[in-house]
Amino acid sequence: MGSSESAAGRNRCLTGIDGLDNILYGGLPRNNAILVTGSCGTGKTSMSLEFLLHGAEEGEMGIFVAATEPPEKLKENMMPYDFYDPQMLEKKQILFIDLHELYKKAKTEAPEIDQKGSEALIKAIVGAVRSHGAKRLVIDSITSICARLLTADLIREFIRGLSHALAQEGCTALLIAEVPAGEHRYSPYGVEEAVVDGVILLGNLERQGDLLRTLQVVKMRGTTHSRAKYILDLTSVGVLLAPLLKGGG
Amino acid sequence: MEATATGVQKLLEIPPASAIALEMTAEHYFDAVQGILDVFAPQKKLDAVYVTATIPSKSIIGALTTLEVDLTRTRFVDCVSRMTMGASERDDRAVYVESPTMLETVLLKVEFLLRKLGGAEAVVVLDSINSLAIHNSPRVLSEFLLMLTNHLRARGAYTFIFSMEEYASEEIANILNLVTDDVVRFEGP
Repeated sequence: MGSSESAAGRNRCLTGIDGLDNILYGGLPRNNAILVTGSCGTGKTSMSLEFLLHGAEEGEMGIFVAATEPPEKLKENMMPYDFYDPQMLEKKQILFIDLHELYKKAKTEAPEIDQKGSEALIKAIVGAVRSHGAKRLVIDSITSICARLLTADLIREFIRGLSHALAQEGCTALLIAEVPAGEHRYSPYGVEEAVVDGVILLGNLERQGDLLRTLQVVKMRGTTHSRAKYILDLTSVGVLLAPLLKGGG
Repeated sequence: MEATATGVQKLLEIPPASAIALEMTAEHYFDAVQGILDVFAPQKKLDAVYVTATIPSKSIIGALTTLEVDLTRTRFVDCVSRMTMGASERDDRAVYVESPTMLETVLLKVEFLLRKLGGAEAVVVLDSINSLAIHNSPRVLSEFLLMLTNHLRARGAYTFIFSMEEYASEEIANILNLVTDDVVRFEGP
């Protein structure tokens, strides 16, 4: 099947971010695991929270696995959105789980995780998805898990195993990767982008002394998509995107 | 494109989703601002987004408030105040763009305000192409205006692009001919 045919035929998971859904010609291919990557302050967490909020609006339960920020702070970050409804949290349409709880459950609290631990952690994450019937998952960040995995092969196997298991559960996932500022790569370990189904790259563009946030869909299996760079604005109506002006240098 | 002379009443005949270049002298500048925000928008029941790259929104709001113009349905994209370090007092009716070179951000702020205003039919005023031309090359300005006017056409919104005759140039005339449906000379109320 050609990519344009599969784009038309495959079930989509609308992010609710108009610009992004347009770039993807109708949303993320459902059950994909997508790497959302970029340096600090580029909008990765905000975009992922919005993905879950719009999911909740559509009746799709979402889980946010937090490693870098306390859940309480993340909940506060949701409140300024015009489409935020406190009932989404009260009714557990969105659930925040501290990653350390999952480490405990998988008995992988040690700083290094081996093959067995990796499998147990996948089981713990997928178990949470299954028990809550989650259709959307965010892991912020996958980098913090990768830092505990001993080798590049283990990282590859962990992400592949997790992606596969989440797809089996009918869950679409955003895996957030943190890349140091100024480095032109998609992930810190160099293997994450090869295994996932898609890569959304967020960045900063300095132009004539102005600092602009950018978004680019680098890869997305199962759909045709724009590969152009877009300017991104984080607002109370959500993420807004505009094409980068080519004459702008 | 030959500019036809007109006043506010004539503007009311313009169909929705039109992009109009409004040429004027400095003498008629404020008549045009007031005419669009106080006559055109209310009569057509439109939300208004006013993009200023010429003078700070605070000055425009102040002048219109003195004239008792109802600004309930008007919001401003201010590309001047931050650049001149003059936006310490923020107005809830305005959003601020750091520099008139951030044209994509201007697009995004217009879209943001249109959504915040509630998605009714709207008019967007760009004040002015001459001011933007000081900070941006003709190429990027053409690209921006083409994107803005097409986006607003698709929304069914009116676009008015101010062009000051005192600062007119062949390059600006060419851009306006390219991106607008009509060039109109505004000659008072």
